[in-house]
Amino acid sequence: MSSPQTLLQEILGKGGLSTLFQPIMEIGAGLHELFAVEALSRGQKGTNAERADVLFDYVRRKGKEIEVDRACTAAALSAAAANGIGCPLSINVHASTLERDEQWVEFLAGACARRGLPLSHVILEIVEQQKFWDERRFFQTLDQLRTAGVRIALADIGLGYSNYRMLIEIRPEFFEIDPYFVTGCGERAPARAAIESISLLAGRLGGRVIARGVESESDLRTLEALGIRLMQGYYLGSPDVEPPRAAELAQQEMS
Amino acid sequence: MTAAATTRPYRMLIVEDESTVLFALRKYFTAAGYRVDYARELEEAEALIATTQYHIVIADLRLSGSSAAEGLEVLRFVRQQSRGTKVVILTAYGSPEIQGSARMLGASAFLQKPAPLPEIGATVLRLLEEA
Repeated sequence: MSSPQTLLQEILGKGGLSTLFQPIMEIGAGLHELFAVEALSRGQKGTNAERADVLFDYVRRKGKEIEVDRACTAAALSAAAANGIGCPLSINVHASTLERDEQWVEFLAGACARRGLPLSHVILEIVEQQKFWDERRFFQTLDQLRTAGVRIALADIGLGYSNYRMLIEIRPEFFEIDPYFVTGCGERAPARAAIESISLLAGRLGGRVIARGVESESDLRTLEALGIRLMQGYYLGSPDVEPPRAAELAQQEMS
Repeated sequence: MTAAATTRPYRMLIVEDESTVLFALRKYFTAAGYRVDYARELEEAEALIATTQYHIVIADLRLSGSSAAEGLEVLRFVRQQSRGTKVVILTAYGSPEIQGSARMLGASAFLQKPAPLPEIGATVLRLLEEA
């Protein structure tokens, strides 16, 4: 009997991961410009890991967040360096990786240095916040990252463990509002109320809001009216292997 | 079978760790018009089941060459996620105890390996048509 290669071997093997880039735009008060790009990891085409939801659900079930977060980060930094991305780069990392990978900061610093990318351009987006396994180490890692110049974003605010306590304790530089609240917010007064609440809290805690899931002109205008300036979504730019260029985005806006 | 599957493409997950068996099942059901996904281990199957709505799951009882009845874990997970999904358990080690456990957990059918592909196909179609 022969056993096929496992999905984990496919993910961590050569060419097992690729990176797509999606723009995060700054909009409002006459501005429509590229603020940052988010690196989104995908598995190889034709494998189950091609679907991001399957990829990361599987990785968490295998307990391999550290190995895969490292591989995704290395792939994202390589793609960013190869494409000459000059703006901030947002990279996703599991909260559990920051708790359990004792060498995470050294890994990230080394990976950036080898590719000539400054750590001050990295925004580390914490995903899948869970009940703490090692709270002390988690905050120690955050302190080390901030000392090195890395900025922190917290994903899925308003959902799961990304709650008020986490916001107060993590004090992220960026508060990412989930598409659950953003998409169609023009027609949903309760969603707008939640967005306003998060925006107010972000302002008081010294952070900025990034609204994810902007999929229409109506979403964009509603967010503008609510004072949100950083936005991301298909309406503003789809994930693509080619990173968005500031000049091209400005040209699209003018045409 | 082909006509029924083609007119309404059923979504199927095959959970099998043995390359040749997996290849044969994928080829057979894809040719019959099913939309086929596959998993080679328990966690991969769970990730797919958690994110996809399947009409039917065919699971080998023993995965990863171990003696553990991981196919029953797949069955248990399907039942947590979806009551309507049919589950066929395939095994070369079909003791009455294991069969009893599979029935208790809600298996739709239990087939002895090596079962001929047309027999598996007929069982699958019967289960889907009575749904």
